[in-house]
Amino acid sequence: MPPPLPTASPASITLERVTKRFPGGVVAVDKIDLIVEPGEFFSLLGPSGCGKTTTLRMIAGFEAADEGRVVVGGRDLTHVPVHHRDMGMVFQSYALFPHRTVAENVAFGLRMRGVARPEMAARVASALAQVKLEGYEARRPAELSGGQQQRVALARAIVIRPPVLLCDEPLGALDRKLRQAMQVELKELQRALGVTLVFVTHDQEEALAMSDRIGVMNSGRLEQVGAPADIYDRPRTRFVAEFIGEINLIEGRVHDGGFIAADGRVLPVSSEKGEGAAALALRPEKLRIVSSGAGVIDGVLSDASFLGDQVLYTVTLADGRRLLVKERNPGTGALRQNGSTLGVRWEPRDAVILRNA
Amino acid sequence: MRGRRASLGQRAYLVANGAILFFLLAPLAVVAVFALNPTPFIQFPPVGVTTRWFEKFFASAEFMGSLRLSLEVAAAVVVLATLIGAAAALALARGGLPGTRFLTALFLAPLMLPAILTGLALFQALQLAGFGRPTWALVVGHTLVAVPYVMRTTLAVLSDFDRRIEEAAASLGAPPLRVFFEVTLPIIRPGVIAGSIFAFIVSFDQFPISLFLVTPSRETLPVVLFNYMKFDLDGAIAAASMVSILLALAVVIVIDRLVGLRATMRF
Amino acid sequence: MAARISRRGLLGAVGTATAFGVIGRPQVAQAQAATLKITTWGGKWGEVMKGEVLPAFEKEFKCKVEVDQAFPYLPKLQASAKNAPIYDVLHANSNEQWRAAVDGLVVEKITQNEVPNIKELYPYAVSDKIAGVTIFTSAIGLGYRTDKGLTPPKSWKDLADPKLAGQRGGYQIPVNSLGQSHLMLLGQLYGKGMTDLDAAYKALEQLKPIKLVDFTGQMEKMLLQAEVVMGVIHDSGIYRYEGQNQPIEFAAPAEGVLSLEQVLNVTPGSKVKELAYGYIDYMLRPDVQKKLAEAVWYSPASKSVKLDPKYDAKLYNTPEKVAQLIQIDWKWYNERKDEVDARVARILRG
Repeated sequence: MPPPLPTASPASITLERVTKRFPGGVVAVDKIDLIVEPGEFFSLLGPSGCGKTTTLRMIAGFEAADEGRVVVGGRDLTHVPVHHRDMGMVFQSYALFPHRTVAENVAFGLRMRGVARPEMAARVASALAQVKLEGYEARRPAELSGGQQQRVALARAIVIRPPVLLCDEPLGALDRKLRQAMQVELKELQRALGVTLVFVTHDQEEALAMSDRIGVMNSGRLEQVGAPADIYDRPRTRFVAEFIGEINLIEGRVHDGGFIAADGRVLPVSSEKGEGAAALALRPEKLRIVSSGAGVIDGVLSDASFLGDQVLYTVTLADGRRLLVKERNPGTGALRQNGSTLGVRWEPRDAVILRNA
Repeated sequence: MRGRRASLGQRAYLVANGAILFFLLAPLAVVAVFALNPTPFIQFPPVGVTTRWFEKFFASAEFMGSLRLSLEVAAAVVVLATLIGAAAALALARGGLPGTRFLTALFLAPLMLPAILTGLALFQALQLAGFGRPTWALVVGHTLVAVPYVMRTTLAVLSDFDRRIEEAAASLGAPPLRVFFEVTLPIIRPGVIAGSIFAFIVSFDQFPISLFLVTPSRETLPVVLFNYMKFDLDGAIAAASMVSILLALAVVIVIDRLVGLRATMRF
Repeated sequence: MAARISRRGLLGAVGTATAFGVIGRPQVAQAQAATLKITTWGGKWGEVMKGEVLPAFEKEFKCKVEVDQAFPYLPKLQASAKNAPIYDVLHANSNEQWRAAVDGLVVEKITQNEVPNIKELYPYAVSDKIAGVTIFTSAIGLGYRTDKGLTPPKSWKDLADPKLAGQRGGYQIPVNSLGQSHLMLLGQLYGKGMTDLDAAYKALEQLKPIKLVDFTGQMEKMLLQAEVVMGVIHDSGIYRYEGQNQPIEFAAPAEGVLSLEQVLNVTPGSKVKELAYGYIDYMLRPDVQKKLAEAVWYSPASKSVKLDPKYDAKLYNTPEKVAQLIQIDWKWYNERKDEVDARVARILRG
């Protein structure tokens, strides 16, 4: 690997009550407050239409915020036009200049900055090396594969040594294998450059795998911001719990430091303060199957799906509700039998209580 | 079995293509034969080869004057229609103007209207305004019907234009004007050039509009040919047609060479 | 890249320069002298007019003549302001001239007072069938091929000979006045008179199958190409090929020939009426009449023209010959034109 490009010192990004309304009154982004640390790999995760891309576009300057401030590296950029913001941008559609060669694409930002020819050539070569595209200088975008095009886009964005790199679903158009490889590369590149990176995605696995922190967005609001493990293990809202991974939700209420399910059964949780309606959230892999009567609840095994490293069982309870249970593949080739009655249990510390809003 | 079917289909395809080509080119061949045949009327088989009709065409001050006028007008129309058409297409596709659909329909209206009505209306308007029939009216009239062609071809390119490309350029530090000249314009260029070639042909071939707007002694070639035909239908007409066709072809080739139509069409 | 841009720039510059050249050029030199705006035919006629007749006229009358040779004249005249018409003198065939007269686009009557040479004209030239002044006429008869073993036609009825099925030629009646006059003549030949349209329609039916053309030039070509072996045509359309060894001839049927008049008239709004009448008078001068008649084989309307023997033998320039001319009541016809067109379209479609 070539020596990393020298980069401008990474900048922090601060959003203060940033709001965007679209014509027709739709609020795309609703008073978002967020601080992204310098050098952080930060993902905005959410379903389509949640406002994550609009948020990114406001940071980039493609959209003007209707309210609030965008501050990057201590500089208020709220009213600064795109071409003065000095940020690298990578799009899902690559957005390469079709009429220019790879080298010309990468050199574009340097040309705009009036960088002298020798330096330009050196930096273009270095950026292309960084994304492993040496030898492709004279090609046109149409002559490259999707993955190669995205590398060119990446090189074009980093060659200007931006303090901030913004990526809008950059791997969304690539097939699964390539996407996973690129995830690793992008992460390595970000570390090598030390750049602050804001990454928009709707793919939770991608966000979990790559990010230092994730902001989960829903309906224009940030539902939860935290490290991947935090978001996964300790979701703070039903939306976050359900959007990320698979989860069992049991409705009920908090009473006297415990949780009482809707059917009146008291379920094991860590001590919980307060009172009121809530749901108990349990990740399938946190549940254990035990013999009938030895668990918290009994049920009948109604379905088994083999996932490779794991097996996903569906246990149907007496009242018809279902619990998903994930067990490590025992490797014996024998799955549990459908129709067998069994018990389910969990550790109280693995139960997350989600208060109704 | 499958191979034979494919080859049958292939043959049918070739025959169909040949038929279309023949259909398109046969009239040209007839014109060429007529232009080279000594008799003053179409005779088949031709009785000989002569250049007298070409000589007559090139020796006629009337034909030459009209050819010159047609080329001058077409040149002006290409410039105007390309500027107006491309600008209008950009404004419609990008401007976020209210009533875009209505405006598009309005700009394309000259395509729907019989050109002869456009010509008559323009003539009457000029008469009412007391302008007479200046040559610029001819340019205006032709431009009016040429603009929609440029707009169409430009809009077509703009419709599958990924605006992120422009955003990428802006994010890399290009101010709006540079984005336009370095990115937008080169990408829409094939559409604009195709439109300008259409504009040239529309103007050079224009008859219905010119019919009303030509003035005595300043008549375009198609009008002169039309009137000539009423009195002397001879090979000079065919010779003039051949010259027009070759000239139009030459212009297309020159534009192609000059601005590299094929090169920009590649992506 | 740079070279390409500069070449493109050059093209733009050239284009713009041309554009300004076109726009900046004065359309017609605004001479001090009065300008007479006229329409006239193209072809050989136009050559003689622009080459000899008009320059001489301009010199003598110290004026400038602006000649419009681009059809269509009537719509252009109609679209221009009545008090500032785009023409001073309209040259048209008799039926178009009638339409102009009915619409008030030309004056109703021209007399010897305005155009003294009218006294030299055969009566048909200013008859009640004419709006304006006839300067020449052609005789519409039958043109035929001499190399197809045909007996030269003697009567209009010879066109109906079954042997000619599919090889006889006529006109698109709605757009051609030769076709229109032939239709009216059919009423006279096969019915009670020129206005007996029912008889005319029936007779027209009998002429099918027939090859139809828009204008006389096409009929000439059809005859020359032998696509038509006999067709309705004016004498000048045949005589113009004299000396070219073409196997075509003109026959004047015994019932008489239809008159195809070249008529001049003045627009009421003309600012140079004196000059306009002067022009018509000039066109009736014997020397002018002779020159044009011999150029295009038109029969002069003036009695005082002495043609060369070759022309004298064929053209209608004696009282006896002129008596064979059948004139059409265009006013009557034009009033029924739509109805006739519809009817004729039905007959000829099948």
